[in-house]
Amino acid sequence: MKVSTQWLKDFVKLTPPLERIAERLTMAGLEVKKVEKIDDLKDTIFEVEVTTNRPDWLSHIGVGREIAAVENLSLNIPDIQLPSNRAMPAGWKLSLKEAEGCPYYTGVYIEGIEGVQTPPFMKERLMACGLRSISLLVDITNYVLLETGQPLHAFDADLLKGKEIQIRRAKVEENFTAINGSAIILKQQDLVIADGEKTIALAGVMGGLDTEVNERTRNIILESAYFHPRWVRQTSLRYGLTSESSYRFERGVDPEGVDYGRERALDLIKQYAKPRFISGVLKAGQRPTVSKSRIHLSLAQIESCLGMTLKSHQVASSLTRLGLDVKKDSQDKWNVKIPSFRSDLSRPIDLIEEVARIYGYDQIPETLPAREALHASENPRLKVQEKTRAFFTGNGFSETVTFSLISEQGLDAQEDLNQAVSIINPQHQELCWMRPVMAPSLLTVIRKNDHLGARRIAIYEIANLYAVPKGANHPCEEKTLGLAVCGTWREKSWLDAQREITFHDLKGMITAYLNVLGIEPISYVPARKSFLKDSMAEQVLIDGGKIGFLGEINEKIRNLWDLDRPVFVAELSLERIFKFVRWIRPVKELPRYPAIERDFSITVRETCKSGDIESEIWSHGQGLICRVELFDLFRGGRVPKGCKNLAYRVTYQSPERTLISEEIQELHMGIAEKIVNKFQATFQDGKS
Amino acid sequence: MISTVKEIEREAQEKLGQIQSAEDLEGFRVLYLGRKGKLQALMMQIKTLEGEGKKEFGREVNQLKKFLEESVQNLKGRFEGQSGEKESFDETLPGIIPSVGTLHPINETILEIIKVFEKLGFEIVDGPEIETEFHNFTALNIPLDHPSRDSFDTFYTAGKQLLRSQTSTVQIRIMQDRKPPLRLIAPGRVYRPDTVDASHSFMFHQIEGLMVDDKTTFSDLKGVLHLFFREFFGKETKIRFRPHFFPFTEPSVEVDIRWGKKGWLEILGAGMVDPNVFDAVGYDSKKVQGFAFGLGVERIAMLRHGIPDIRLFYENDLRFLRQFR
Repeated sequence: MKVSTQWLKDFVKLTPPLERIAERLTMAGLEVKKVEKIDDLKDTIFEVEVTTNRPDWLSHIGVGREIAAVENLSLNIPDIQLPSNRAMPAGWKLSLKEAEGCPYYTGVYIEGIEGVQTPPFMKERLMACGLRSISLLVDITNYVLLETGQPLHAFDADLLKGKEIQIRRAKVEENFTAINGSAIILKQQDLVIADGEKTIALAGVMGGLDTEVNERTRNIILESAYFHPRWVRQTSLRYGLTSESSYRFERGVDPEGVDYGRERALDLIKQYAKPRFISGVLKAGQRPTVSKSRIHLSLAQIESCLGMTLKSHQVASSLTRLGLDVKKDSQDKWNVKIPSFRSDLSRPIDLIEEVARIYGYDQIPETLPAREALHASENPRLKVQEKTRAFFTGNGFSETVTFSLISEQGLDAQEDLNQAVSIINPQHQELCWMRPVMAPSLLTVIRKNDHLGARRIAIYEIANLYAVPKGANHPCEEKTLGLAVCGTWREKSWLDAQREITFHDLKGMITAYLNVLGIEPISYVPARKSFLKDSMAEQVLIDGGKIGFLGEINEKIRNLWDLDRPVFVAELSLERIFKFVRWIRPVKELPRYPAIERDFSITVRETCKSGDIESEIWSHGQGLICRVELFDLFRGGRVPKGCKNLAYRVTYQSPERTLISEEIQELHMGIAEKIVNKFQATFQDGKS
Repeated sequence: MISTVKEIEREAQEKLGQIQSAEDLEGFRVLYLGRKGKLQALMMQIKTLEGEGKKEFGREVNQLKKFLEESVQNLKGRFEGQSGEKESFDETLPGIIPSVGTLHPINETILEIIKVFEKLGFEIVDGPEIETEFHNFTALNIPLDHPSRDSFDTFYTAGKQLLRSQTSTVQIRIMQDRKPPLRLIAPGRVYRPDTVDASHSFMFHQIEGLMVDDKTTFSDLKGVLHLFFREFFGKETKIRFRPHFFPFTEPSVEVDIRWGKKGWLEILGAGMVDPNVFDAVGYDSKKVQGFAFGLGVERIAMLRHGIPDIRLFYENDLRFLRQFR
């Protein structure tokens, strides 16, 4: 809101420089965002940000009152004499039919307006506050609104049908055209002002086009009322109509301001519009009272909240300066009468804030709480995340943060989206799914960097995936690790050749990661995913339970993301991994006797699984095998079509004795023979 | 054939005796072990043979190879340090740099912030992102029909839940669950349907703090936050506490930080937990008191690293991310 400092001077003394006052207001909670000098108008504007709890600051008198409080000055508000001798308007009547929506309504009939010129001072002040001068009557209502905070409305009395003003709910599907031209079909929940025939204003929000005052207007009805904040807000939100009036009513105007604002406007009308007749006040309803007009407060309450000692007189003075009526109950105890413009104050804590504000937040000491230690065990879920980050960061993966909201691009309606959570009011039309998988987000990052020319892309993200499980009401969130790799695994250097990333690089990374968390054995079985190649997708199992998957993105999805190179992704549920983490592992005794390594190489059919061969090797080891590694896989050359050559290195070691070479040679050859028989293999290595 | 091997061996032994310098040794190495050396010639011959003869010849050649290699290796030590035309040491050759990963600047910032609070005895907690109206609004004293709701535009799900618009939801969940004393820090994602520009995003990160017991005061809030900012931004950091309004705290405060030429920048919102919030979670608001604060992670990361545009965080351009090693 723009506040004219020239205008403020009507109510309070401003001791320059104005920047100092702006600073004091800011530090009292009425933030002055900008101090702007306007030379043409010989005025300086405070651009203030008024928090929603302080509608009383939405006027020059209100801001003036705050300045008086922080500067400890007196506030001069011109007194208004409430009329006693004005004649009631003949024939006019009010009928208030919705007392909750409008507790208090007043109107005055004004006849024979002659003046039409807005005085220059008023034009200038309105302009300083960002309002254009429209016509004398409209200008006066705006002026009073900005000065007192009370919204007013003027109807052209000659355009009303009949002489009855109704305050009622709208009729079903009643039509209404607002001053700004919006045509609306009203609902029964709307509070309206109506004449004998139809709605002439949306109460507190906007007047109607049909009864708007214009240059030819000679007779008016001036409305000043208290409309219920909730009613105004609901109607305003319903039709997307906001105005200076609705802004104030929905925050709550000062009930006392209804009469004050009206009479202030009548003063100005009398002076500048020179009407022949101003009627007495038509009234309906009762002025609402502040919900709790007295609050009991003690010094002990204040001190225990703020953590400091205060003097009794400091408290009383802070509150008095704000215009509150402070009465001493007993030593260090007060009862405080709340004025009508401070409906935000209803509890002792509200007054404590006021004391703190006026005393100055910067004057309150800083202390460090000395407390007994709480049970401070580390959150184990966060610890898993921390270890995960350390592992992947250390292994050359960059962490990403991508949006949880995704589009359905690349996702299968049945397989991927069937339990997904959708957003009904997305900010970006297509981003309407809470992601059930991480792959699309990671692919988007891969694409961005691929198109920027990155050769090696290895990324990870730890974030939630979302789903509504069948039969459940509230969605589940599962903390998940997403991995994606693409491009070169190892760059060419003067020592090494370049190598591209493969499926098994990612798989090895996952195995190593799980081992770091103390999880083994891990097994892998074939998987199917809508976005992965069928032959290149595996489930990751721990103890037979699925914890995630890895695989290569299929052609279709790669094309959707405009990617040429193979991309491998994985998703592992940290929530499921968490259950298998072994934080504390007993140390194994170091071997005391030397190990013996022996290799063998066999050619088997393609359908033969290396994992099966490995288990078979283990099973014949008589407890002497400590390690089995596949160290070569070869196809082509002299290896027949449909076959592959596998080379294993078996490490033998005994915890009890030094193994004898001949003994191991025999065992090893025996195992090799058994493997060859079992898998119908040959010893031919096919290479040379 | 075998005699040729023996002959070469004898000749080599003789030559070994004459080696005086690193150059001599290198000459010897090239002559016998080089790519076109005598040993290589013998190796070629192996291939031309068959059967027993091949085996035997191969064994002899291998023995010779072993002898030559060992001899060269042994002599090498003797001439170490001598200058010469040999393979010279180039200290400017680059090391082979492994791929180094990075933490995302948002998480790096979160981890740094929570580290400070952990030292102060705060516990790190987590809460759901898809929330109920109660946890996100009602319990936080944000009535449906009040303009204070306007600053909390919210995403809604088809199942009538909402995406939390602030991490304060976590304090509600924990307080419903546990009794004081509490000292909590809750980092996480929050969502507001804001138009995306250089400083706004519809998803961003917040860290919520909460300290509740029977005696935590506003001066404690000031002390803890000031300590945090000094730890995080340096000892010289200047901050100020400015009254503000939040529905869930009273008294409420906004903290500004002095940032060079930019002047005072708003960096954190806080206050004493409003009694209505305690009532909503079933605490006795006459017996407990404490403070809560919430800060925007992106904003702090942007200030700290001079990041001009919030969108950089979510684009994940590796050229950006790799600057946070």
